[in-house]
Amino acid sequence: MAVYSVVDNLRVCVVMVGLPARGKSLIAQKLVRYLSWLSINTKCFSVGNYRRKESVHPSADFFDPENEMGFLIRRQATDLAIKDMLEWFDNGDGVVGILDASNITNERRRQVLQIMRENQIEPIFLESYCDDQELIRKNVKDIQETSPDYKSIQEDYAIKDVLERISIYEKSYESIDVERDSDLTFVKLINVNTEIIINKIESYLESRIAFFVMNLHIKPRYIWLSRHGESQYNLEGKIGGDADLSERGWKYAKKLPSLVEKYIPNHEKLTVWTSTLKRTQQTGSYLPYPKKTWKALDELDAGVCDGMTYEEIAEKYPDDFKARDEDKFEYRYRGGESYRDVILRLEPIIMEMENLENVLIITHQAVLRCIYAYFMNVPQQQSPWMSIPLHTLIRLEPRAYETLVTRIKADIPAVSTYKEKGTSKLGESTKNDHSMAGALISSSSSKDV
Amino acid sequence: MTEEIQEPVIPGNYSARKQTRWEKLDTVKGKKAVHLDGIHDSVDSTYISPGQLYSTESGRMFHAGQVCVCICGQPARGKTNLSISLCRYLRWLGLKSNLFHMGNYRRAKTGTITDDFFKPVPDTEEAFKMRKELTESCVQDMKAFFQGDHGQVAIYDAVNAISKERVELVERMKLYGIRVLFIESLVTDDNLLRANIQDASKSPDYQNWDSKQAVEDYKKRVEMVAPHYQEMNEPSLSYVKFINFGERLIVKNSNHDFLTSKIVFFLMNSKIKRGSVYMARCSNNKLSFKSDPPLTEAGREYSQKVMKTVLGHISKFKGENFYHNVQRPKIEATKRQPAYGVDGQHENSLVVWTSVRRRTVEAAQMFKDLGITTRHRQQLTQLNPGDAEGLTLEELKEKFPHDYEEHLADPYHHRYPRAESYHDLAVKVEPLLFEMERMRGDVLIIADETVLRVLYGYLMACHSYDIPTLKFPENEVIQITYNAYTNTATRIPVEGLEQTED
Repeated sequence: MAVYSVVDNLRVCVVMVGLPARGKSLIAQKLVRYLSWLSINTKCFSVGNYRRKESVHPSADFFDPENEMGFLIRRQATDLAIKDMLEWFDNGDGVVGILDASNITNERRRQVLQIMRENQIEPIFLESYCDDQELIRKNVKDIQETSPDYKSIQEDYAIKDVLERISIYEKSYESIDVERDSDLTFVKLINVNTEIIINKIESYLESRIAFFVMNLHIKPRYIWLSRHGESQYNLEGKIGGDADLSERGWKYAKKLPSLVEKYIPNHEKLTVWTSTLKRTQQTGSYLPYPKKTWKALDELDAGVCDGMTYEEIAEKYPDDFKARDEDKFEYRYRGGESYRDVILRLEPIIMEMENLENVLIITHQAVLRCIYAYFMNVPQQQSPWMSIPLHTLIRLEPRAYETLVTRIKADIPAVSTYKEKGTSKLGESTKNDHSMAGALISSSSSKDV
Repeated sequence: MTEEIQEPVIPGNYSARKQTRWEKLDTVKGKKAVHLDGIHDSVDSTYISPGQLYSTESGRMFHAGQVCVCICGQPARGKTNLSISLCRYLRWLGLKSNLFHMGNYRRAKTGTITDDFFKPVPDTEEAFKMRKELTESCVQDMKAFFQGDHGQVAIYDAVNAISKERVELVERMKLYGIRVLFIESLVTDDNLLRANIQDASKSPDYQNWDSKQAVEDYKKRVEMVAPHYQEMNEPSLSYVKFINFGERLIVKNSNHDFLTSKIVFFLMNSKIKRGSVYMARCSNNKLSFKSDPPLTEAGREYSQKVMKTVLGHISKFKGENFYHNVQRPKIEATKRQPAYGVDGQHENSLVVWTSVRRRTVEAAQMFKDLGITTRHRQQLTQLNPGDAEGLTLEELKEKFPHDYEEHLADPYHHRYPRAESYHDLAVKVEPLLFEMERMRGDVLIIADETVLRVLYGYLMACHSYDIPTLKFPENEVIQITYNAYTNTATRIPVEGLEQTED
């Protein structure tokens, strides 16, 4: 179900505003991910990418307003980005277009506004205002590490350059003003969300965007994901149920605290979330952190097939078994759920997850696939086929330009619960696009991450 | 597939879902011409809300703990309206919420109430004492609601003018382990304020008053409070400033609290609703879910009658051809553009919503021909009956004996194989609820009975057990009007159709 169908011809243009290192790209990228996950056609038009075509590794003075060449190139880049966005609205059934640029002067914003209004679109300005130095410092480092502008450039030089770029921008920075800009639609985040000003929101979709953005924080943090330890049902190849952990599953539960401890920096605060089913709670039982239990994290409900093996399902409900393989995302078990249903019930979880700092989520295969798909932007048709093995701790680190993944193997054997398309036998996938991204490390290795 | 549905051997999610979630209500609402909504009924301990996505062991959602939402603002700032619509939404979301209107406590108090009482800092000892007393009994009731009735959100609707008293409330609630979130309603637009004073002078306080006198008296009350009112600016408190009924929102110290952001989400969409929601059945409801035939001649005649009834009814208030006034002129590029693709911004507008099914799209064409905006929403497609389609109760009982039992116990959440439940439908239509809230004009929804039930259930705060059996006969159009205090549903007979007896 698309939240908005093209029938409505709805268009929203989000214009980012803010100095460098204020998390603009991170917010833009997260918005794209979130709205796409909800089946709303969204695209980010990053002026930086258009500009980079002209000038691959520009130094800070390129951004000086006095530098005419730089000014012209940036101006052209913005115009190109807007042009492409408008075309995408018309020809690509675009619903939400995001213009990722700094747009720090009132004059610049008025220019963008004018172009948009000439095309009958009232843009929504989204400003990230931040004067918390600690936060800015962390963002600067993030840009240096992940921005294409600083690829293969020395760290010291890069950081110096970003800081210089910021100070040049600061000279001409005009924040959105409640009085002067009272006729504009805008959302202004002040120091992440100490204060949020939301002005003249005119449509439901805009309100949804504002809602999401106010739940974001741009503080660096980790999200830890794990399936429950191997369960009795896993041993028997059965799906669903509410079984206890197997002996090896308990081993994983006992090892989990030291795994987390080893890879969590500076013993930061951590919250553990589990489902209401026994196997996830048992898996988390040795962890010395505050815990929350969520019904919404329960495994995909297999309805009448709950408690069966895939072989039994294939035999008993051959049509269903085939139908599910054909469209695993949409297929809803008799009396149960589909992956789409799971995404709908997970939405509040995602929202709260965006809200929290470090969190470890112990849940189930299908639910993990949906959460992983959200963070890694895995397409809907592919996500139900992702291979997420047992006894592996996954660490996600959302960064400005991408999410970094590290997988930590607990080195405790477990059965495979992966079922390839077209078979009822279990076994790990042989296809590359079904495996997770990122580095795989073994917990016994001494490599630091 | 004729395979019989079997119960799993080992209990799992399936069994958990099967459990009866509430006791059956034995009250059956009679068929009356006008219904008041259920928003002022207290919620009982077995309450499960229509839109609830999941529940937790404690019966509370989001692990958000317990929250007192304290509404502040001078008189005529739409506080009561705001608290009621917020309560409606929070309950629908699954948070056990109740309203605590200071005005009700005051009205329940016997004896005369002097003007002095309305001053945030009364002159006389007597009025001062009475204020304290009333506040105390309200706080006590909230405490009982939190501690005895497993309440999650108490909405405290009072002027709350004095900063010191607000801080005291926070400290007091803290003793009971309850967080306080303030929502301050501010109006900086004089026109809005004037309109609102007109509205407020129709409150229960002014029953049997001459309307002019009521306005004068209310104005006096507004003026009395104004010099004492201290705008919120407390650095230690969490608050939301709700300015000009949602034109601007300022959120302070939300601390990434999920409930706060959900409330802000609602507030962004909550306009003072002036128009009505009309609901009409679409023609030919006996069709199979998968079929999608064009409109029949009988369907065309029926749709024309519905159109005549609705347009005739609205014309009585807004004048003939009222919809001609809303054609959206092209706005110059120097001016604010109306939100792209967003309808219902004009008070005289009528927007017709139907599903994407052919016969409803064709029925809407008649409205379109008159220049009325029509929209087709996927979410308004009837409930998918799945494998239960076309089966009589007897056949269902025979074919799906187990499901049949389950359905009886929980008709709202249960789905037959491959079917959608009412709950699925409710979750699906949530975006439409918000759009409905945003519209300033009228909206006519032509849809299947199953969809109307869910929408009606939200607007009239129905218990989810009642929703699957709500009746919407073809010979009636339902009008739901928003009021500050309560929504009202009126049944309008469709002209030229035989009416059934009560």
